[in-house]
Amino acid sequence: MQQKVEGYPLKEYTTKICQIAKEALENREVTAIIGWRKKDFWWQSPVVFLEDPADVQQLVWDPFTIYSPVKFLLDWQESCAAKVGIFVKGCDSRGINRLLQDKRLERERVAVYGVPCGGKADAEKIRASFPSKEIKSVTLIGEELVLAVGEREERVKAEAYLLDKCLSCRHPNPVVYDKLVWEEVSPRQYADESRFARVQAVESLVTEERFAYWQRQFDRCIRCFACRNTCPACNCRVCIFDQAEPRWLGKANDPADTLNYHIIRAFHVAGRCFECGECERICPAGVPLQELNRKLIKGINDAYGDYEAGLDPTDVPPLGTYRGEDPAGFDES
Amino acid sequence: MKRIAKANLAELLSAMAAEAKLYVPAESDGIVNFVSWQEGLAVELAALNVLVPPKKFFYPQTETVLKYEMGEDLQIEDFACKAGEKAILFAVRPCDVSSFAMMDKVYLEEPPDEAYRRRRENTTVIALGCTEPDEACFCQSFDIDAAKAPGADVLAVDTGEELALVAQTEKGEELISALNGLLSEATSGDENKVKDEQEKIADRYVTSVSLRGIKERLAGMFAADYWERLYKRCIGCGTCTFLCPTCHCFDLQEYAAGNCGERIRCWDACMFADFTQMAGGHNPRPSQKERVRQRFMHKLNYFPQQHGDYACVGCGRCVRKCPVNLDILEVIREAGGGTDGL
Amino acid sequence: MPVTNEGFEPLIVAFCCNWCSYAGADLAGVSRMSYSSNVRIIRVPCSSRVNPSFIIRAFQRGADGVLVAGCHPGDCHYHSGNFFTRRRLTVLKQMMEYLGIEPERFQVRWISGSEGAKFAMVMNSVAEEIKRLGPNRKLRDVR
Repeated sequence: MQQKVEGYPLKEYTTKICQIAKEALENREVTAIIGWRKKDFWWQSPVVFLEDPADVQQLVWDPFTIYSPVKFLLDWQESCAAKVGIFVKGCDSRGINRLLQDKRLERERVAVYGVPCGGKADAEKIRASFPSKEIKSVTLIGEELVLAVGEREERVKAEAYLLDKCLSCRHPNPVVYDKLVWEEVSPRQYADESRFARVQAVESLVTEERFAYWQRQFDRCIRCFACRNTCPACNCRVCIFDQAEPRWLGKANDPADTLNYHIIRAFHVAGRCFECGECERICPAGVPLQELNRKLIKGINDAYGDYEAGLDPTDVPPLGTYRGEDPAGFDES
Repeated sequence: MKRIAKANLAELLSAMAAEAKLYVPAESDGIVNFVSWQEGLAVELAALNVLVPPKKFFYPQTETVLKYEMGEDLQIEDFACKAGEKAILFAVRPCDVSSFAMMDKVYLEEPPDEAYRRRRENTTVIALGCTEPDEACFCQSFDIDAAKAPGADVLAVDTGEELALVAQTEKGEELISALNGLLSEATSGDENKVKDEQEKIADRYVTSVSLRGIKERLAGMFAADYWERLYKRCIGCGTCTFLCPTCHCFDLQEYAAGNCGERIRCWDACMFADFTQMAGGHNPRPSQKERVRQRFMHKLNYFPQQHGDYACVGCGRCVRKCPVNLDILEVIREAGGGTDGL
Repeated sequence: MPVTNEGFEPLIVAFCCNWCSYAGADLAGVSRMSYSSNVRIIRVPCSSRVNPSFIIRAFQRGADGVLVAGCHPGDCHYHSGNFFTRRRLTVLKQMMEYLGIEPERFQVRWISGSEGAKFAMVMNSVAEEIKRLGPNRKLRDVR
């Protein structure tokens, strides 16, 4: 299949986003827009909230507009009665469905602008090839990454510099939207093959090796809760890990409690995780959380039939239902 | 000044490990952290910032304060007076070395924290001077000379093939003399080479901020709209606080079972909602807005008011690691008005 | 490889559903069947009441093995509770094994109120397996 990625030049896409935002704000369709803007460095494109049509020029679409704006809708909805417009990539849009399915979002209070996405760049991969300090800008043009490094321009094949999570993305196009910002792109060719590759590699270890592997990973965990806080599936009003009484998770950073945290966090999103991979990407300590989430997805798929979360807000998540003839992972005799 | 060929580093480390518990930066799964040294471990000298700052050696993420048992009478076992085994930290970057002085202001002023004091006293810090800051480094803005580290016991300078070692304190002298057999005396040529290396760094920063007047400006900004705009994208995780070499807030927790129990002290973060949660249900910092404001006010206004220095060393960890790119550079620039650099 | 853990007396926490497995325990008792004294029973209204956090907490606070026992599928007092248990705990068990916890440490079994003999047998076999495995160190909290 011919790979079709967004046909940048980027500037035009950014212009398109600005235009939509401007119109929506000027027409009072929405009172605020959530998108991305550029910050100090080439690798920073944080989420931005805009209320004034004059500010829309801040909005950008570039290889680093990675962070999902979806979870901010929860706070926004609570603090503000009006309607908000939000730009979402394919992965982000599944977060919208996640919140809808969990009855945490009122659909009519959000205008969803769907942005088909050809994948986002991995700053670490770029830094490994180019001196970070000298990079002025990074843009994606077609399938090429164009870097301004010092005084020269470098063109490299984009695929080698995309985030791993984007290479295994099955839904680059938004699955829910009111307006599609530009035409759809086709999913990556090897997305399916790479989806469970790391899970299978860990599965192939023997019990003690697996334990040692995960202890090494969790040993780096600093318990910052960034993985939970960024996850649209972690949308409980009061999280079990924050409860003081009963205290389900001790505050001491003990190995057994860190293991407890990671088991329960992953289990609470089992059948609900829509594989955006943000938990892993933003983990400061590089804990491979997708290997946990995807293990659960794989296990559920194998035992109870293929299911992809975040595609349809009306269906019931696999752990919220059952069939009489379900198989069990234990001795049923 | 002494010197040793980098090829003989393993021998030097082995000799240091014989003197005290030795911690070195090492890479594992792509992340560099200080770990306990053992024979054969590859030391990572190129990395600028380790993930978890070395404050953890004086102020661990989790430590036992005391254990108690209630029988006929109450038995209390104090752990603070047992803290602080003899240790050596090797290759601490100058920004992190500066953070120790800041932590000292909190933990060593009267009344001093016994566990912290003992750990600090029993630890010899060997700094590794920087030659090449990355784009998120801005220690220069805090008047930290990253080529030197006046707070360290020993300063190591990488001159390419060799490491030059300069003892800067009595503790440092002691260590150097214990290692003397492995070191050779530096010539005046070596000293010049070191000087050359140390001078290079000043022009290599790409990021700087002006702190002029920020303390005063922030003093008038408690009720400013600015925080309202700023906090919205904060997700309330503890990345910035836990990775910050100067953040020092903690929680005390009781692990009780039956008639005995344990009290621990662990890192806590002003970014967490439960940090200021009162037993009765009231929370004086009810939303993320107050929490974000607190963090930056503490670093740039309250701390300098109380202790004279900013509670930031410009290490850049929050710049690199904040999931939503909400970092102190942004606040200094926007609130302080300093826009030089970049 | 024969592993002996001589002198090791494991602590096993068995979450038993009120309507079947706990009745099974009762039957084993009144029938004077003997079963391992290493087992401590916690009665729960339904096997689906067992939150995964209960299981982890049991391990953290000293259990060497955890068993969840409920009604056979189709026999749930609340119609469908154990069907949910089956899915959830299958997934939890998979994950714990994936993280390197021995599969025998955490088990799920269906035991009805009339299966006193089965109750005793299951308890004995679980106790035997955990004895062979030795103490739980991986999930036990140090404090």
